[in-house]
Amino acid sequence: MGFAARSVSIFRYRIKGELEGSFWDAVAEGVRKGAFREIESAGDIIATGWTSMEDFTDHSFEQAGYVRGNYVALSLRIDSVRIPSRILEIHYKKESAKLLQETGRRRLSSGQSRELKDRLKESLRHQAFPSIQVYDVVWNTAEGVVYFGQLSARARERFEDHFKKSFGLTLVPLIPYIRAQELLESDAENNQLDELKPCSFVP
Amino acid sequence: MDFLEILKQKAFLGREFLTWLWFKSEQSGGRVELPGDSVVEVIFLNRMTLDLSEADTPQSVTIKGEHSELREGLAALREGKKIEETRVSLRGSLNEFTLTFKGTWLSFGSFRTPPVLPGDEAEPEDEWEASFLEKISLVEEGIGLVDLLFGHFLKLRLSPNWETLELPAIREWIAKGEPVLTGPQ
Repeated sequence: MGFAARSVSIFRYRIKGELEGSFWDAVAEGVRKGAFREIESAGDIIATGWTSMEDFTDHSFEQAGYVRGNYVALSLRIDSVRIPSRILEIHYKKESAKLLQETGRRRLSSGQSRELKDRLKESLRHQAFPSIQVYDVVWNTAEGVVYFGQLSARARERFEDHFKKSFGLTLVPLIPYIRAQELLESDAENNQLDELKPCSFVP
Repeated sequence: MDFLEILKQKAFLGREFLTWLWFKSEQSGGRVELPGDSVVEVIFLNRMTLDLSEADTPQSVTIKGEHSELREGLAALREGKKIEETRVSLRGSLNEFTLTFKGTWLSFGSFRTPPVLPGDEAEPEDEWEASFLEKISLVEEGIGLVDLLFGHFLKLRLSPNWETLELPAIREWIAKGEPVLTGPQ
């Protein structure tokens, strides 16, 4: 569900680090560097990167920009293809039988078997429809806070990695303890927080 | 401490906050008073997950449905569980928000803001930007209410009043199942 929807999910991060040189030029460079494109990977992901929040098919940002006041509004698109194991098995059986017949051997070596599976996976990936995931990202540049529109650990991990690769900045999840450090003003209170142990509410 | 260690060792902070917030909401008829005469209306809605985070094997209980939550939730608190996740409604001076709050992460699921009304900009791009800016301002207003409540909790949690006033009142509430007035703080 996108950011414009009535109901959204929000995971909050603090940005650690600073962009080098002119801020908005560095943002533009980061967006360009991390824009949606096909990738070579051994995993399920076939393409990933930033797209326009208004239109997940626009990754050149020609139709719409990503700067909205003090905010950077983007989407992270992740296209992945997972070949069902039974489908792979059907093709593997067919192809390995053909190969054995051609070579006159009784069985494939483990190396040949692995190579055949990889080749089949690669060719099946091109025949399958990818699953397309789009997660919205809002960067409040005045506050150094980023909101990510998905709570799942896997999506967050991919987002954190991609953000780091694009902008060279680390995202620190604003979990209660880290937000508490920010909200407490004095060193004395922060020392107390550091020492704090769980309490029992049991009567 | 590195991040994962903080996450593990300090996860109690979010759970204690949510558990305290429930107490506070029940104690004050849903009107949580903050320093500086501000009030945030906090209503716990019909879904809550409590867990026993300090146990060797995690034990959790999810309570759903209207009116059953107080009795069953208090029973879970008596067993030493704390609130890990809950759906709440928050209202500040301007707007009302509902969200599913996760204690460990301080994250917000199904966060509903008031609707963004269509503007009268001529260009679709301007219209989109205006809607976006209105939406983000609503989201940040809602998160700001959470921060206000969390900040108030922290001050209290670190003050001597926690041990002498707040904690005994919470325990009494859990024991009796009724709100107990703690007086001004």
